[in-house]
Amino acid sequence: MSDEAIRLSGVTKAFSGHLAVQDLSLSVPRGAAFGLLGPNGAGKTTTLRMIMNVLGPDSGTIEILGAPATQETRDRIGYMPEERGLYPRMVLEEQLIFFAELKGVARKEAARRLQPWLERLGLVDWRHRKLNELSKGMQQKAQFIATVLHEPDILILDEPLSGLDPVGVNVMRDVFVDLRRQGKTVVLSSHQMETVERLCDAIALINRGRKVLDGPVSEVKGRHGKNTLVLSYEGDGSFLAGLPGVLKVNDFGRYVEIKMAEGTDPQAILKEAAARIRVSRFEVVEPSLHDIFVEQVTAAGAAAA
Amino acid sequence: MRRMGTIVRREYLERVRSKAFLVSTFLGPILVAGFMLLPSILMERQRGKALRIAVVDATGTLRDGVEQELRRQRVAGESRFAVMPAEGADAEAARSAARRGVVDGRLDGYLYLAPDALATSKAEYFGKNVSNVMDLRLVEQSAESAIMQHRLAQEGLDGARVKAVTRKLDLRTVRLTAGGEREDRGATFILALMLLTLLYMTVPMWGAAIMNGVIEEKSNRVVEVIVSSIPTSYLFAGKLLGVGGAGLTQVLVWVLTMAGVGAYGTAATGGVAMPELSPLLLVSFVVFFLLGYFLYGSLYAGVGSAVNTQQEAQSLALPVMMPLVLGFVFFPAVLGSPDSAFSVTLSLIPFFTPMLMFLRITAVTPPAWQIALSVGLTLATVMAMTWAASRIYRVGILMYGKRPTFPEMLRWIKESGG
Repeated sequence: MSDEAIRLSGVTKAFSGHLAVQDLSLSVPRGAAFGLLGPNGAGKTTTLRMIMNVLGPDSGTIEILGAPATQETRDRIGYMPEERGLYPRMVLEEQLIFFAELKGVARKEAARRLQPWLERLGLVDWRHRKLNELSKGMQQKAQFIATVLHEPDILILDEPLSGLDPVGVNVMRDVFVDLRRQGKTVVLSSHQMETVERLCDAIALINRGRKVLDGPVSEVKGRHGKNTLVLSYEGDGSFLAGLPGVLKVNDFGRYVEIKMAEGTDPQAILKEAAARIRVSRFEVVEPSLHDIFVEQVTAAGAAAA
Repeated sequence: MRRMGTIVRREYLERVRSKAFLVSTFLGPILVAGFMLLPSILMERQRGKALRIAVVDATGTLRDGVEQELRRQRVAGESRFAVMPAEGADAEAARSAARRGVVDGRLDGYLYLAPDALATSKAEYFGKNVSNVMDLRLVEQSAESAIMQHRLAQEGLDGARVKAVTRKLDLRTVRLTAGGEREDRGATFILALMLLTLLYMTVPMWGAAIMNGVIEEKSNRVVEVIVSSIPTSYLFAGKLLGVGGAGLTQVLVWVLTMAGVGAYGTAATGGVAMPELSPLLLVSFVVFFLLGYFLYGSLYAGVGSAVNTQQEAQSLALPVMMPLVLGFVFFPAVLGSPDSAFSVTLSLIPFFTPMLMFLRITAVTPPAWQIALSVGLTLATVMAMTWAASRIYRVGILMYGKRPTFPEMLRWIKESGG
């Protein structure tokens, strides 16, 4: 059996002349929590739709669990589309059983599995209501149950946390952690970097239909080096920007963040600073995914312009 | 295949449970039955309550004859008129007495024959109600007949003999089929027209139901989850079958109600006027409803696939309606000569088959091979249309914004990978 849950090789998709996804190759390890990142319009949703056969790729291949993507292999996936879709006038319970049946689960079995999920997500009292009588957050949870009820090995969640209140986010986060503990592969797309950083252990960043970088989160961060300094001080720090090796200073009020050129010795900056201002905090930090994201995307934007 | 069953089940249950379905399925036939039965029930109420009529005769010669004729008038086996005396010293006195009688409610009306009635052929009727046309016609006939008898007698002719000699012809029309002969006074024609109208109502209605279902699924974005779970052709076939099942349920309820009302009506009216609902007619009605539904349903499904909103669907649905409208245009020609080459050809064209072949079956019994051929051709068209519709659907799913043109839709049909 393959160690890869999903593999894309050279996948390209164009919509009436506009390339939505270009020559994209991705590998999602089995059991991983994989984050697909990118700004709006980068091609995240198109990529996920191709994996689910909602769209067909113009070229390239898609493999699921080591085999070419087919109806059978796709049954092993639970897919929550970005644009949530449930029947508004259908009763919640029947609706969720219907979607599980569509994935090949027998009616009775689906009904049996449904109960714990309804309890867990607090929808028991709403089971006989029509969907359009539920709040947006509850509909979101219902959509999630529809995604997992057939007990898939792989979950593909397009922007899973959008539209949830903070309590809902926490509940869903617990569920994610649980599913991962059961060995499920989770692929989620998002443009909320903090979420992805906390939940995922591997990422791919795409921009304008192309992959910018990918790999385990720690590796991606390592590749971008420890090039950021955090400094708190008293006094006039305006000279910092002019020091050799300093690329950029972001002033956050209580502290500043300094981007250093590659090969710059942080100690040299500390020495210079200590001589002119009272330093109360000095730390070399890893860049956040947010920083990497912004850096890569703006660099690509500059190159394109 | 089991997943197609899941789709069928959902479509059927969701539709059958809807309020609109329950109302139209059960209230519809009650209304129809009401309209069919109400007149005869009301007539029945009227029966036995003969109209109290007096004859005021100023000619002095006609009264006996008119009264005799009035007493002879029968409706549903019972005398229609109770002839009341109109006494008075002279005609004027009798007339004012009759007038009082009508005002007091002792009389329903009186017939006044002026002194020159015999010469001018004129009479007057005064009554509380002068809009009961059927009854007035009987009064008129009675007076006319009495005057006629009188004139014949004056000419020295025997009224009874003249009546016997000039007796009207009673044309009995019998429909002759392989199964035997059956008396038919145009009731079959009316029935066929009713059933055809029902086809014209239900086929587009359920076809549009498919279209709206497809559009709704797209606008709710349910479609993404569904197409990632089952092949589109299954989704379409499942939709057609499920919605068709709901349509069939409704049509069966209606047809059975009609059969029941027909049977009751025949019993109630003593075997007159009610058209005979032969099993063949009912079965072919159901069969051609299904054929029409599947054919136009698949066309409507294609329209639904290509558009995003119901407003957009309006303009595309128009060409779908065209064959239905054309079928209605050809209807008199086909009914006039159901076995002509023209009629046979038309009824074999799939888009007309559901209406015109059904029409021919009600008029004559077409050869079995023609019926079989028409059904086969229609089924083949249904399958081709379903296939094409599912192709359009596959591509149209995620098209937002603009409505595709016909050439674009043709390209989708060719290109789509299923």
